[in-house]
Amino acid sequence: MLEVENVSKSFKGRNVVEGMNLYLEKGESIGLLGPNGAGKSTTISIISSLIKPSSGDVKLNGSSVIKKPAAIRKVIGIVPQDIALYEELSAYENLLFFGQMYGMSKAGLAAKIQEVCRLVGLEDRQKDIVKTYSGGMKRRVNIAAALLHDPEILIMDEPTVGIDPQSRSYILEMIRNLNIERGMTVLYTSHYMEEVERLCDRVYIMDHGKVISSGTKEELKNILSAEETIYIDFDRVYPAMYDELQHHQDILRASETENGLKLIVPKGSRLLSRVFQITERHKAQVTNVNVSVPSLEDVFLHLTGRKLRD
Amino acid sequence: MKAIFFLQWKRLRRKPYLVLTFFVLTLLFVFFLGSNNQGSQGGQMEVNAYTGEGAQEAEAAGWIDRLNDSDSFHFELVDEEQARKDIMDGSRSLALEIRENDYRMLVAVEDQDHQLVDSYANQVFREEQRLQQAEEQTGTADLRERVQEEMNHPPLDLTITSVSGEESGFVYNASLQALFGMTLFFSMYTIMFSLSNVVDEKRQGTWDRMIVSPLRKWEVYAGQLAYCFVLGMLQIMMIFVFFEWVLGYDVNIPLGTTAVITACFTFAVVSVGMLLIGLVRTTQQLQAVIPIVVTSMAMLGGAFWPLEIVSNSFVLALSKGTPIYYGIQALHDASALGYGITGLGGPLSLLILFGVLCMGIGINLMERRS
Ligand SMILES: Nc1ncnc2c1ncn2[C@@H]1O[C@H](COP(=O)(O)OP(=O)(O)OP(=O)(O)O)[C@@H](O)[C@H]1O
Ligand SMILES: [Mg+2]
Repeated sequence: MLEVENVSKSFKGRNVVEGMNLYLEKGESIGLLGPNGAGKSTTISIISSLIKPSSGDVKLNGSSVIKKPAAIRKVIGIVPQDIALYEELSAYENLLFFGQMYGMSKAGLAAKIQEVCRLVGLEDRQKDIVKTYSGGMKRRVNIAAALLHDPEILIMDEPTVGIDPQSRSYILEMIRNLNIERGMTVLYTSHYMEEVERLCDRVYIMDHGKVISSGTKEELKNILSAEETIYIDFDRVYPAMYDELQHHQDILRASETENGLKLIVPKGSRLLSRVFQITERHKAQVTNVNVSVPSLEDVFLHLTGRKLRD
Repeated sequence: MKAIFFLQWKRLRRKPYLVLTFFVLTLLFVFFLGSNNQGSQGGQMEVNAYTGEGAQEAEAAGWIDRLNDSDSFHFELVDEEQARKDIMDGSRSLALEIRENDYRMLVAVEDQDHQLVDSYANQVFREEQRLQQAEEQTGTADLRERVQEEMNHPPLDLTITSVSGEESGFVYNASLQALFGMTLFFSMYTIMFSLSNVVDEKRQGTWDRMIVSPLRKWEVYAGQLAYCFVLGMLQIMMIFVFFEWVLGYDVNIPLGTTAVITACFTFAVVSVGMLLIGLVRTTQQLQAVIPIVVTSMAMLGGAFWPLEIVSNSFVLALSKGTPIYYGIQALHDASALGYGITGLGGPLSLLILFGVLCMGIGINLMERRS
């Protein structure tokens, strides 16, 4: 239904998005995952026709969005990363105004606003001035404003930042329901793995403006199925030993952690005993050992050598 | 577009203080500057007179009658002691000493008043002297009446015109100058600060919400600009109407003409605002730039003092680059010279041209930025 074809965007000669490819099928729920500055918001702005890409094209049902933005503007609902509301107006007034943008009649809107407020759990205080809301409540209004016109495609840019865990869970549930029950197509941006794992069918992982990997959650985890992670803590730092481990031929990658080392090794390689031989030789005192199976977080680390969040 | 337009009014109702402040400031400044000058302008000047050497009380009273023919001065006969005392305690700056066929002036300060009274008294005494001389020489008794009669059908009629065909000299009415200048000056603040809504909305993201909606971009601009335009017009018109109809200022411009002038001026100012928005990046920058631009434009354009007293040709050239110059000129021409819309074609078309130019450049800059 929606295709992003080889889109690049540069600001003042700096590439922010490079050769981006992405597609959305009707009724799908897609996650766009990446660390700060990866280019997620920029990608969303391009898709929603807010900014023009330097090259490439975005197509909705086969026709270019860049040339004719009118088509996509009718069918998408955008939840911007930063809260975009009139603080001096009430939630109701905000929603009324944003609904009017979509040419909805006042009568139809009144009912719709009630429905949307119920959906995001904001029925009681909708007549209060937004300025008096807590951060989480503002977030909910921010989400509600994108739902008024029953968008076919819902694009959300980190919509749950600053919301407490229960509310977040509630909102994720709501999005999942919109996706499954109403068949709303969802593009969800986040740097929370858990959210994407819970909500999305397919995931795109972005870093430095590029998609570095994509596929279903299972496909992505399979990248790491052949690996396991060993965390070893020591009483102090042993540079010579660290060096030896980092250059060990059977260890795929070794990185320093707060108290020791994190080793990524081939699954079932029974490396642990050999690692202990080395620590023995260096007379290093091991304080803790932990062997773990991979998460999407590790997938990201595997792909980029960096953590998703610092 | 309608929704955007009406939303701005709703937002203004929630935060009316800034606009109200500019409105009240206009009232205060016009009132203060205007009426302050009106005192010495419209009213009569009170002058003490006393009988000096060789003059009789009755004779002096005769002179006083002659002197009081003028609307501008009111002479009162007091004794010398009183006159000196009034000057001493500062309630009068001068007094006139009437002699037999002559006068002297008792002056505390060499000011404008002193010159006015002196030249007026001089004129009255000289005229009287000439008439007396003529009476003596010709011996006719009814000379005065005949001169008076002749004056109704003067043999020579002198009209003064300048090369450009306008009346020479300029008619300076301080209250109207204050009314026009201050009203336009503060309206520029109202308009430009209201326009900074656009920058605000861009910052807070509501602008992007509008852009990604099915609304056309021009509708978003039009809604915002229409609001600022109507707000500016309302402010100016309300103040003009108030001073003319409630306080009885002699503005003397038909309401329709006022509306057209105001519309052209407001359009130009909205456009200058758009240009500023196109040039700056942040709300803070805008808030710093607006007062500088507005105040310097108002100074150059003659909102604070009439440009007729400016002689620096560079400054005069600069003044032609400000919309407020044309606004004041149009109002002045309409008020003092009774010009209608066609007569005001010059300044009005320049205002529109100015507006179109700034608007074009401003929107272009802004769009290129995003
Ligand atoms: N208008 C702009 N002008 C210049 N640089 C920009 C602009 N918008 C974004 N960038 C740069 O593009 C890069 C990607 O920004 P973007 O907002 O798309 O990242 P993101 O993935 O959404 O990050 P975050 O998780 O922090 O929201 C950043 O380095 C940012 O500085
Ligand atoms: Mg972002």
